[in-house]
Amino acid sequence: MGRGYDAQPILNSGDKPCSSPSLENVYELLIKKKINASNNLNEFLKKINNYHAESSRSVLNILITLYNYWVPKGIDLGIKRSIILSKGHASPALYVLLSQNNEIEEEELESFAMPNSRLQSHPEGGKIPGILFSTGSLGQGLSVANGIAFAAKLNRERKEIAVILGDGELDEGQIWESISTSFSLKIDNVLAIIDRNGFQLSGPTEEIKIKESIKKKFEAFGWYALEVRNDIKELIIALDMLSEINGIPKALIVKGDIQS
Amino acid sequence: MNLNYSYRDSFGKALVKVGEKKKEVIVVDSDVSKSTYTKYFAEKFPNRFVSVGISEQDLIGFSSGLALGGKIPIAVAFSMFLMRAWEQIRNTIARDNLNVKIVGTHSGLSDFLDGSSHQAIEDISLIRILPNFTVLSPSDIIATEKLVYEMVDHYGPVYMRIGRDNSPKIYDESEEFRIGKSKVLMEGEDILIVSYGPMVAISQEVANSLNKKGFSISLIDLYSIKPFDEQTVIKYSKKANHVVVIEEHNVNGGVGDMISSFLSSRIPRKVTKIGIEDSFGTSGRSYFELIEFFKLTPKFIEDKLKVMRDEL
Repeated sequence: MGRGYDAQPILNSGDKPCSSPSLENVYELLIKKKINASNNLNEFLKKINNYHAESSRSVLNILITLYNYWVPKGIDLGIKRSIILSKGHASPALYVLLSQNNEIEEEELESFAMPNSRLQSHPEGGKIPGILFSTGSLGQGLSVANGIAFAAKLNRERKEIAVILGDGELDEGQIWESISTSFSLKIDNVLAIIDRNGFQLSGPTEEIKIKESIKKKFEAFGWYALEVRNDIKELIIALDMLSEINGIPKALIVKGDIQS
Repeated sequence: MNLNYSYRDSFGKALVKVGEKKKEVIVVDSDVSKSTYTKYFAEKFPNRFVSVGISEQDLIGFSSGLALGGKIPIAVAFSMFLMRAWEQIRNTIARDNLNVKIVGTHSGLSDFLDGSSHQAIEDISLIRILPNFTVLSPSDIIATEKLVYEMVDHYGPVYMRIGRDNSPKIYDESEEFRIGKSKVLMEGEDILIVSYGPMVAISQEVANSLNKKGFSISLIDLYSIKPFDEQTVIKYSKKANHVVVIEEHNVNGGVGDMISSFLSSRIPRKVTKIGIEDSFGTSGRSYFELIEFFKLTPKFIEDKLKVMRDEL
């Protein structure tokens, strides 16, 4: 396991079948999608010189669960749910997933990072369905999500925003400004998801700038924080649990298996 | 020269008026509402006033989110400290052409007491180079009020630069101001003075005095810096053989540089840039003490122009 923290499964959902049949069905569907997306991602990464490969791989379960479970479930509940990939450099995973969900043509993946392509290296706002704004510069996603969420409250719209942050991204000061804002303004329709893969650009996170304890830091800022393993079943259960919590902002720390 | 009016007071009152007119307007503060006078808006519309605390980067991101949510956010901070969020302004607001209004108060030397850390004399050059941005700098309290309305009616990112107090009153209440336009305050033949912000009142004094001494001066208030009124600048530059830009800003990258590079490819003219030379501000006990220190009083400018005139 990685230095500085232990990825303890908080939910005992490892290899046992789920008790709820509907959950089991969802899980099976998502696993199929995951296997397919994972293969597609590996193929895609080969073609694009492994552009941010590890960051893309670690965020895949999160994206699959959000896009195929959390968003559709929101529709059932009458809640418009949106996703912000604040760690925009994991765009290969996002584009593969959007192509799997037929939001973009599979052939279009070939245009990745070409001048004027819709598929810019870091996703740009308004170019592809569901990309709310341009990312690429770290640390800004939660601030923007807070603004969208706050506007929705003023408009009396039922809207929720999931913001996917990298663990390295937590080094940015603006992240902590915005974490503080979420709590101060009682923004409970924002969900921060931290892709705790244990690595940032130049190496293991704890060797570069100590992150732990991320959970305690969020809690100290007034958030409800939950840790899960980077596992689709745990993600589904955690997202359901978090949707029951109201009145405070929520964080989900998704711990990967760290090779070190 | 009567500089007893207040930019921020005019700004704060104009915000209340746009707040009444447009329900989408949200004022976002960074713990300076008592200094920027957004407190007037906060008192009138507490539900449409948000403070994110002393966090300018978050101020910009949060306001971007409000714009994405269909609101018209007006993000307010001291000009200087907005500049620490320049990258957020560039990458999030400008790239996506978001409908965020940014108002920087206490610009130039207007925050005389606080000194160099607080005196933004680089902001025009930093923001005017960003695509999609409109940059405005009103010269008096009337222009401030009217440009707040104009800014809110315009779709797209706007940076408006205002001073603290020490504003003149140049215009009548009926005066109209439009993005991309300018005000020709004097028409003459030999020298064209282009100015904006508080230096317009100073320029008026310079021009009046020079006119009495036999010169013939044109004066343009270039309150819309981006886009700027190219036609009018060309028209009056054609008449003049010498163009002078007077600004409360670093001469590097400011409007002097902008006009100089614009004219050089069209009708080359000798352009003199008068502003703050490559340096920082300093604290002073009054605004007048500082403009004296930086040689931006009418007397200093007039003497400088007379010397240049003799050299021509």
